[in-house]
Amino acid sequence: MVRFWRSLRDGSSFDAVLVWLALGYLIVFSAFPLIYNIVISLQTVDLFSIASLNRPFVGLQNYREVLSQPIAGLVFWNTLQFVVLSIVFQLCIGFGLALFFQQDFPGASYLRGLFLAGWIMPALVIGAVWSWILAGDFGVLNYWLRSLGLIDQNIFWLSDPSVSLYSVIIANIWLGVPFNMILLSVGLAAIPHDVYEAAELDGATAWQRFRTITLPLMRAPLGAVISLGVIFTLQQFDLFAALTQGGPSNASNVAQYWSWQLSFQTYQISYGSVVSVLMIVFVIGVAAIYTRSTRHEQAA
Amino acid sequence: MKKYILLALAILFVAVYLFPLYWMYVTALKPSSEIFQFPPTFWPQDPQFDVADVWTRLQMDRFLTNSLIIAVGTSAIIVAVGTGCAYALARVRSVWMDIALFAILMMQVLPSSLMITPIFVAFSQVGLLEYPRLAVILAQAAKSLPLYIVLCRTAFMQVPRELEEAALVDGNSRIGAFFGVAIPLARNGILVTSVLIFLHAFGEYVYSRSLIGERALQPATVGLQSFMGPNTSDWSGVMTYSAIYVTPILIIFVLLQRRIVSGLTAGALK
Repeated sequence: MVRFWRSLRDGSSFDAVLVWLALGYLIVFSAFPLIYNIVISLQTVDLFSIASLNRPFVGLQNYREVLSQPIAGLVFWNTLQFVVLSIVFQLCIGFGLALFFQQDFPGASYLRGLFLAGWIMPALVIGAVWSWILAGDFGVLNYWLRSLGLIDQNIFWLSDPSVSLYSVIIANIWLGVPFNMILLSVGLAAIPHDVYEAAELDGATAWQRFRTITLPLMRAPLGAVISLGVIFTLQQFDLFAALTQGGPSNASNVAQYWSWQLSFQTYQISYGSVVSVLMIVFVIGVAAIYTRSTRHEQAA
Repeated sequence: MKKYILLALAILFVAVYLFPLYWMYVTALKPSSEIFQFPPTFWPQDPQFDVADVWTRLQMDRFLTNSLIIAVGTSAIIVAVGTGCAYALARVRSVWMDIALFAILMMQVLPSSLMITPIFVAFSQVGLLEYPRLAVILAQAAKSLPLYIVLCRTAFMQVPRELEEAALVDGNSRIGAFFGVAIPLARNGILVTSVLIFLHAFGEYVYSRSLIGERALQPATVGLQSFMGPNTSDWSGVMTYSAIYVTPILIIFVLLQRRIVSGLTAGALK
């Protein structure tokens, strides 16, 4: 006992205790639910059997039933669109802004930092603000589109099934641009200046410099931003709750919202956990690729 | 000259980007008749400060108190268990530490909306749902702890090792060196990261919505959502509510902006 205390004070146990404190917490409240999720997805769990530990195992039957539901295809297609469109636009706008703010002018870094004001807001509040901007009758976005002559009739962004998914995507792009921009700025700042100067002396145009220097050297940061983007868009829930709630008739529903609806609105808890298992496996896959690739960078 | 054109463009970009926040404040100041005017007015003609009215009518004191309780509880747990872990991960290099760091990075990516189903079932079985705010605090702490560890780790890595070794030579114990040297020197990084975690928990939604059934215990996000049905007409109220809710967050952000940006970029790099 005395030896343990001494090693805790002065030796290696000190570090081990510190790490296990946090790791233990994460194992109880993160890793255990993660595994428990798989167990639930193989059982029949509803509001009546939730409290009992003795629940019948049904194997993969829940998976078959969830995947054969007619809306499953729609939801996964929506999720794909949500992720791909969000990332493409966040990346392009974020990259453009990062390049712009890389130039030398007074207040550049301060103004760039202001973009993070959007990132730090509660996403639910951002959703509320956007649902007012996107409102069909009195929304300011429709007013602008009409005064620019782009549309003749108001678009009912949130209640028209053909656009409701895109209205959530618009809000999500807004939310994600600052993070993309800041991360890409870090990458741009790391490119040595004299490479550009040498290229300029050789008579390379701005576009040529971008294509032959910036893009290749930004491969790693771009890869990181894209994988983080996939992870973050799959975490987005609050905007759906504030804007469309997956509706109208699931036109804007995505997997992470559907999983919650199954568990907490229709109380088909095993179905909700099936969707959640499938998506978490996907997220962890993306994350593993990302962390592995960043380790390679460091080693190289 | 070119510099000023760039500056003007930059201000334009910021203005376009931050328009939604501006629009929230403008709408909050408009009386309800002006809100539904077409074309919309971009500056309130007859500004009304109905903060007090919205505050009492929408029972914001109760909601904000709950948000505050959740945010304080979450941050307390995270700082208590996360700081030492970040320190150890920054100081010790071994295979085991690499594995621990990898595991922590993996747990950072789990989406709350997908973790809530097993958490709900597990918490209901051990009876934690009897204390719904505590349940949210525990779940949210697990959600944000990995990010805190990763960002704090970079703060500790910037503290020179030699200073601690000197303290050990002077007869300090490891614990003494940790509290007396490492923490004070990494203070700024720890503080900014804690603020980020705090703000994050202050705007938490999924867990609160799912774990807290009783209205009196719900935080401000869930309260706001419940006022925004599909047929909302009280947009002035909703926007005033939002403005009251986010103004403190914006103030903290403006005060800490420089540190938040550098903390984030350092964390992303290493």
